[in-house]
Amino acid sequence: MNADVMIIGGGIQGCSTAYHLALQGVSAIVIEKDYIARHASGVNAGGVRLLGRDMAEIPMSKASMEMWKTLDETLKFETGFRRRTLVNVAADGADIAMLQSRQTVMQKAGYFHEHLLDQSQLREVLPHVHSSCVGGVTSELDGYALPYQATMAFRQAAMQYGARFVEGEVLSSLRHVGPVWIGRTQTTTYEAGAVINCAGAWGDKVAMRIGDYVPLSFAAPMLMITARLPHFAKPVVGAVSRQLSFKQFENGTVLIGGGAKGYVDRDQNTTRLDYSKLASAAKTAIEFFPIMASASINRMWAGIEGYMPDNLPVIGPAVNAQNAFHAFGFSAHGFQLGPIVGKVLADLVLSGKTDFDLKAFRIDRYERKVL
Amino acid sequence: MIYDCAIVGGGPAGMNAAILLAEAGVRVVIMDRAARAGGQVYRSAADSVLPRPEALGLDYTEGVALITAFESCAATHIAAADVWHIGEDGMIFYSLNGTTRQLQAREILLCPGAIERPMPIPGWTLPGVMTAGAAQVMLKSDAVVAEKAIFAGSGPLLYLIVAQYLRLGVKVAGVIDTTPKANYLAALPGGAAALRSWPMLRKGLNLMREISNSGVPVFKAATNLSILGKTAATGLAFECNGAQEIQAETVFLHHGVIPHSNMSRSLGLEHLWNEAQQCWQVKTDSWGQSSIPHIAVAGDGAGIIGADGAQCAGRLAAFNILYRLNVFSLSERDQRAREDQSKLIGMTPFRAFIDRLYQPVEELRLPKDPETLVCRCEEQRLKDLRAGYEAGARDPNALKSLTRCGMGPCQGRQCGPIVSSLLARWRQEPEEAVGYYRLRSPQRLLSLAEFSRFQNNDETGTGAEVSG
Ligand SMILES: Cc1cc2nc3c(=O)[nH]c(=O)nc-3n(C[C@H](O)[C@@H](O)[C@H](O)COP(=O)(O)OP(=O)(O)OC[C@H]3O[C@@H](n4cnc5c(N)ncnc54)[C@H](O)[C@@H]3O)c2cc1C
Ligand SMILES: Cc1cc2nc3c(=O)[nH]c(=O)nc-3n(C[C@H](O)[C@H](O)[C@H](O)COP(=O)(O)OP(=O)(O)OC[C@H]3O[C@@H](n4cnc5c(N)ncnc54)[C@H](O)[C@@H]3O)c2cc1C
Repeated sequence: MNADVMIIGGGIQGCSTAYHLALQGVSAIVIEKDYIARHASGVNAGGVRLLGRDMAEIPMSKASMEMWKTLDETLKFETGFRRRTLVNVAADGADIAMLQSRQTVMQKAGYFHEHLLDQSQLREVLPHVHSSCVGGVTSELDGYALPYQATMAFRQAAMQYGARFVEGEVLSSLRHVGPVWIGRTQTTTYEAGAVINCAGAWGDKVAMRIGDYVPLSFAAPMLMITARLPHFAKPVVGAVSRQLSFKQFENGTVLIGGGAKGYVDRDQNTTRLDYSKLASAAKTAIEFFPIMASASINRMWAGIEGYMPDNLPVIGPAVNAQNAFHAFGFSAHGFQLGPIVGKVLADLVLSGKTDFDLKAFRIDRYERKVL
Repeated sequence: MIYDCAIVGGGPAGMNAAILLAEAGVRVVIMDRAARAGGQVYRSAADSVLPRPEALGLDYTEGVALITAFESCAATHIAAADVWHIGEDGMIFYSLNGTTRQLQAREILLCPGAIERPMPIPGWTLPGVMTAGAAQVMLKSDAVVAEKAIFAGSGPLLYLIVAQYLRLGVKVAGVIDTTPKANYLAALPGGAAALRSWPMLRKGLNLMREISNSGVPVFKAATNLSILGKTAATGLAFECNGAQEIQAETVFLHHGVIPHSNMSRSLGLEHLWNEAQQCWQVKTDSWGQSSIPHIAVAGDGAGIIGADGAQCAGRLAAFNILYRLNVFSLSERDQRAREDQSKLIGMTPFRAFIDRLYQPVEELRLPKDPETLVCRCEEQRLKDLRAGYEAGARDPNALKSLTRCGMGPCQGRQCGPIVSSLLARWRQEPEEAVGYYRLRSPQRLLSLAEFSRFQNNDETGTGAEVSG
């Protein structure tokens, strides 16, 4: 056997899992087809967001947020995490109504981390927001981190505890032979007692090799970053119902997202941008923050991300095989969850148990709905 | 508007291609960010602000004829058009007077020309340090010169600008020639063959003679260059028969040009490493056709061949495009191409001689001092890159993600070639195994406000009509 656990995919989920396993003395090997953090985990918007999460994700997201707070010290490598608060701007009365009804549900469930802002409070935290905006909601715990650095921090910490990483090898076959998982890449055969599928937008393919079917789709969320601007927004900014999302980094550059998606050729690792969709993100940014009219775009790019129909990830044990686990399909918000997902998977591998309810994330949640 | 062919870049390569394509009656459009065509070599030649443009040399003033021929041909010329995106689907986005417009073409010819090879000696990013090409641009576009400047490095363009300065009566503090003695010896065997291009060789020799007759201090085979000064350049230190220092407020550096490949890179075209010229260049066939057949690249942007070579290459690309557009038969193409092909072949020995003689030395191509900045936009030093490499970032893109090297507004033009070669040394692998940054549009900084007004409602290419 090469290792106790074989992890497919070197994004933040794979690296975090390797770290949590290695920390407990389990030997782990990560197999990455390109290089570590080449895909979504290295090129995402870096948003570390608890605000506005689906109810099913909140417990894990809160636990992850706790970990982010001290992650640099825990890992002893820098993740670039900055706590900045996140503000979602409400553009009109309908937005406010939406926020209020969510607030009721949240408080009933015992969650108190989201705070409503009225118009003047909004103006206080975001002096440059357009005067027509009526309010908003904020979470003080939220912020951002540097995606590539954060993923590499997990990798480096994992290596210090003995985890191994191979890059440039594609897992092309996987078999469960007796107690052993045998995985093959173009050059090497690996054997391990357990396998973990952290293959991101390729997660359905690896799931198939394990024996599980899942309706994953994939797309390329797009981002653009500006040249440096004078500091004008300390919090990370989103919107309740509009495609607005940006953050200004310490160096003054502004990263603008908004969820617009480009095109993907998953087998070629390539993406193509949809410039008119990106242009409308630019338009929204200027509408809400007129100061951005003076910005210049430096780069635009997209990353390949896997999506589930309900925009919730798959996390948990395989249903059609023993000693196999999944964590993929994070549907454009998996970066924040990285720290806790690794811990959950390590717990599952070691004890078969976790502190979290994973029902909403079962891999077979769609199979059951088949007519 | 849909064109048969769109050309980006109105230097000698682009202008020659446009003339031929227009003559053949196809709908051709050519874009250049300059107000007037000419490219680097003939920049502002047709409307020179200099009292005596002849002082820049016959080569320069001869460009006027080409520009005139180009301007009277039927090609649509969109001047002051900054192309910021080209898609493999043939869609081109460009900024014109603060608005993004688009057009589409069946065939695309990129003629983006060259950029100067970065020369990362200690202090190369201090204020007062510029490239010899920048001296050229200031002179040609604005008739601005720097008095008592130092010129350091090697290669024909360095000697050319020095000679141009001298003819205009501008004082030069010194010429620090870094061409190593070994290069003369290595180039010698090719010298006899290069003699066949005697006029070219004589031009070069005359430049050298002009410089040495002028009395300007010339230091040959200089090594260990570093810029003097803490917050701005105050001069240059180097070794030439012992340690030397020359004081100057302006230092112009130059050691050759390399293809400007940001456009061919962001299109995802295949590139290869040119060992003789120590640079990356796009992979093309002898017609300039790239790894995406409807995209061709010609001139110095496809591999350094000089202004004369660029003319031939532009024409050859045009002949092939006419064949691809079914205007020429295969035999017509081949027959029409013969003259330019043989001209290009005739230039090869001289080119090889020049390439060998002025092959850049590694100590000027790659930084040695850990404190030397590699990425000026993001202020990354050699030691930062080395630390990133040791942290596991072995790929140029990984290193970029980790250190931000190459993320700034120059889109890696300066640091890209250096990073590839540094990683190649550290990994002990050839440059081609290491690769280069993945580049994306926009080609240059693009105003967010301009972009926000952009609507891709022009799939058929009918909306954004522009006239030349
Ligand atoms: C600074 C500099 C000065 C030079 N001076 C001389 C000289 O004096 N004599 C000499 O023999 N050689 C000179 N050269 C060498 C030069 O490369 C010539 O060999 C020759 O000009 C090459 O011709 P070309 O047509 O390939 O490209 P170029 O003449 O460089 O023409 C390329 C054109 O493309 C345009 N362009 C590029 N990207 C875009 C874009 N995204 N959007 C719109 N337009 C774009 C540029 O504005 C330029 O006009 C110089 C090179 C440089 C870099
Ligand atoms: C543009 C963009 C912006 C985003 N913004 C945010 C944000 O602000 N906040 C947030 O929380 N989330 C964000 N996300 C989502 C987040 O980046 C992802 O959910 C998260 O990184 C997923 O991590 P992962 O490890 O599952 O996937 P990945 O990072 O994709 O890693 C999976 C890896 O598996 C490898 N692999 C696949 N198949 C194989 C195989 N057969 N053999 C070997 N290796 C294989 C792949 O090469 C890949 O490297 C964004 C995503 C994108 C694309």
